[in-house]
Amino acid sequence: MSTVAVAHEHHAEHPRGIWRWITTTNHKDIGTLYLCFSLLMFFVGGAFAMLIRAELFTPGMQLMDPLFFNEMTTLHGLVMIFGAIMPAFVGLANWMIPMMIGAPDMALPRMNNWSFWILPFAMLLLLSTLFMPGGAPAGGWTMYPPLMLQTGIAFPFTIFAIHLMGISSVMGAINIIATILNLRAPGMSLMKMPMFVWSWLITAYLLIAVMPVLAGAVTMELMDKYFGTSFFNAAGGGDPILYQHVFWFFGHPEVYIMILPAFGIISEIIPTFSRKPLFGYSSMVYAIASIAFLSFIVWAHHMFTVGMPLAADLFFMFSTMLIAVPTGVKVFNWTATMWRGSLSFETPMLFAIAFLFLFTIGGFSGVMLALVPADWQYHQTYFVVAHFHYVLVTGAAFAIMGGVYYWLPKWTGHMYNEKLAKTHFWLTAISANVLYFPMHFLGLAGMPRRIPDYPVQFTDLNQIVSIGGFVFGASQLLFVACIILCVRGGKKAEARVWEGAHGLEWTLPSPPPYHSFTEPPAPNLIWAHPYRND
Amino acid sequence: MVLNKVKNVLCGVAAALVLISGSAFALDLNMPVGVTPMSHDVYDLHMYAFWVCVGIGIVVFGLMLISIIWHRKAAGHQPAQFHENTAVEVIWTVIPFIILIALAIPAAKILVKMTNTSDPDMTVKIEGYQWKWQYDYLQNGFSYFSTLAADSNAASQLDSGINPDSVPHYLRNVDHPMVVPTGKKIRLLVTANDVIHSWWVEDFAVKVDAIPGFVNEAWIKVEKPGTYRGGCTELCGRGHAFMPIVVVAENWDDYQKWLAAMQASHGAFINPATLQPEQNGSPVVYAPAELNFNAPTSAQLEPVAAVLPAAAQPAVPGTAATIVKPAPKHPAIAEKTWTMAEAMERGKKVYADNCAACHMPDGKGNPAMGVKAIAGGAIANGPLAAHIALVLHGKGIMPAWGNQLNDADLAAVITFERNSFGNHTGDLVQPAQIKAAR
Repeated sequence: MSTVAVAHEHHAEHPRGIWRWITTTNHKDIGTLYLCFSLLMFFVGGAFAMLIRAELFTPGMQLMDPLFFNEMTTLHGLVMIFGAIMPAFVGLANWMIPMMIGAPDMALPRMNNWSFWILPFAMLLLLSTLFMPGGAPAGGWTMYPPLMLQTGIAFPFTIFAIHLMGISSVMGAINIIATILNLRAPGMSLMKMPMFVWSWLITAYLLIAVMPVLAGAVTMELMDKYFGTSFFNAAGGGDPILYQHVFWFFGHPEVYIMILPAFGIISEIIPTFSRKPLFGYSSMVYAIASIAFLSFIVWAHHMFTVGMPLAADLFFMFSTMLIAVPTGVKVFNWTATMWRGSLSFETPMLFAIAFLFLFTIGGFSGVMLALVPADWQYHQTYFVVAHFHYVLVTGAAFAIMGGVYYWLPKWTGHMYNEKLAKTHFWLTAISANVLYFPMHFLGLAGMPRRIPDYPVQFTDLNQIVSIGGFVFGASQLLFVACIILCVRGGKKAEARVWEGAHGLEWTLPSPPPYHSFTEPPAPNLIWAHPYRND
Repeated sequence: MVLNKVKNVLCGVAAALVLISGSAFALDLNMPVGVTPMSHDVYDLHMYAFWVCVGIGIVVFGLMLISIIWHRKAAGHQPAQFHENTAVEVIWTVIPFIILIALAIPAAKILVKMTNTSDPDMTVKIEGYQWKWQYDYLQNGFSYFSTLAADSNAASQLDSGINPDSVPHYLRNVDHPMVVPTGKKIRLLVTANDVIHSWWVEDFAVKVDAIPGFVNEAWIKVEKPGTYRGGCTELCGRGHAFMPIVVVAENWDDYQKWLAAMQASHGAFINPATLQPEQNGSPVVYAPAELNFNAPTSAQLEPVAAVLPAAAQPAVPGTAATIVKPAPKHPAIAEKTWTMAEAMERGKKVYADNCAACHMPDGKGNPAMGVKAIAGGAIANGPLAAHIALVLHGKGIMPAWGNQLNDADLAAVITFERNSFGNHTGDLVQPAQIKAAR
């Protein structure tokens, strides 16, 4: 009783204006901060990509020095991964998890504030390297030594920025686990949790497991450069490939950190607009868990060309192919959810369907890449660039956009402009394919990735890709327009925004109260979640 | 009538398809079949995996499309409420598993074949540098560097004003290609000097990382004579896009001629094309004795000059007229004495090939990269000994050139740097000074 009273008192006191955002411990405010920050970073990383595509529009160097081009590819990767995709998912988790499990807020609200506010400074530190003598890091987002050790004064700044982002992610993950395990409404057992909550619970464990590994790898690099160690220096008895093993032990789970919450979002959207419960709830949970487990034993498929023994090549090939099984189960379950439903195609559903098709294409190229002899042809070419952009842009980013449209009326209390949103969807979906599909052909025809200039036979395809890129970039302005218009006003949104929506978040008014559930929701509401109708 | 119209339309569609597929082939949309037994295997595996994916795609995307088209609310479709079926879950776990096994078996078989580097007919060591390749013919006792062709290099400078379309094999051409015989199993030993590179020729289906301090193995067996092109595929810094690979494959006899010519050339590179018989004349028969070629044995890994005495010169000049053998530029490197004019001329070329990538063709350096200027620079205008030491041993991002260039070239390029770009030290450096400073 006393806690409720304190909460009410606190509610009355929370500051206004800029101070509200700096000192906030509210899960919705922090979720909003995360989402706005990631949208900003999406445009910063996108601007780097526009420069890359502009330089690659024709052969020859027109706009920039090759070294600056390398800085752009490096920063594009780091900003999009650590600045755009990951914070967007954390923002969605902050907004939705307490509302989905019937909690008043996150379990550790002060840490929540801290884990967000580290991020802008980490990114500022990273981006400030652009203005340093010697330029920004140019060794690729993977930061392989010995090349990365040739970075100038930007090197320690980059490493420190990575450390800060890692700390922020780990704190966010601890908070999410504490919230999910402790604050679920009475009656919500683990196997009754919404899929988005499940996907984040598993993702959070992945984050805690691997972010320290990344911190270790880059710290060893720092030691090599400044403290005379030779972890990765063959001349001193070290091994440059050791870094790659440690990095990808982080890097492959990281790939799933960026896709599992997307699976969760898609599993929320598709049942809603199919007006039908999610097919195979428990197999979906087991599939996510299997993918998470497998992600720890496949890392070396990123490095098939480094000269591993045959046995290692075979092991990593087989384990990698195995991932296709649980991933396939998820795609089949989503298809079965739509099967004989009553489908309608509002913008969130359009993004979810585009995700289904295009993520699956990314999965196909993933299986091809797993075959070691074929990988020796695909590796480090545009075929790989096509693969991971299908998975991360038309996969993760499309799921985020779908999720934003899905929950935006809940957050703001207003319906977004459906016509504008659909325009955004179609421009984005079409231009993304113009942008990424020809990259498969470029890679197969022999164009390596991360090159600022290319032989003239690749010109035509590169021009198509660049045009797709420019349209894709410009289309995202519509996304911002949709969000701003929706925040400002629009048709009043009901509590249950979508006809087919089930789950606790839809029992709260739109917009929801400052403290989501100050009293536990009635147990009968929990049973009404969208996965079972028994 | 109607049938005829349908027929016409179908013919038109077919013609259009042929045209589209024709132009698609012209655009190089697929992996090349290649010219090694491995590349054929890899191509087959790639197409097999591709068609498996297409098959699965047709089924899965087809089902999704059926749902999207027929099971829509707008069409009045009422939702079913099923949400679980263990039998179908088992089916769609097992079927993909079986498909994957069917993919894994051929992939594993090919992999075993590809990694078998035993019993080679010959071995070439390949070393990656920022940003060039070195080919070391271990059994023949010579090695040389292979850098981006000068015309490509000029056109690839920022705002060069040169249209890359006008440059033959833009960014896919080198000064000194790797030369290999056809039909022989060649083991490649791949390593790097500075950072990680990766040696890739797509027609051979060989991509192997060049890692400093470690030696990776691969093998090729080229079936057809020809020129095959590739490039570095591991990000290796500013010049990553500018270190192509060109491999000339020749039949055994032509290869032997090239070997002999190389061994007789005292360090100069012999372009294999210049050894070909003239197109209009009758082929010149090269007697092995004339070229004084002996099949190398492992005991013959001494320096070139020791193995091949002056008798390597063709005995009868007339018969070997088509062997364009340029006068050796530095017959005896250690004893060479440069004149100022010679050193400046040679130094200019060495600078363009090796130094201009970072220090820029105008010697102004690259502040963004942390590369110091030579024009008016403290080193190039300071004490000579410090200049020689820096070029020989390197410092920071400046590579050590002592193991990459010979004494004569080092002397020439240092002379050039001290007397160009507005520098007027007047110093003439001799190879003997470099030798003494090593």
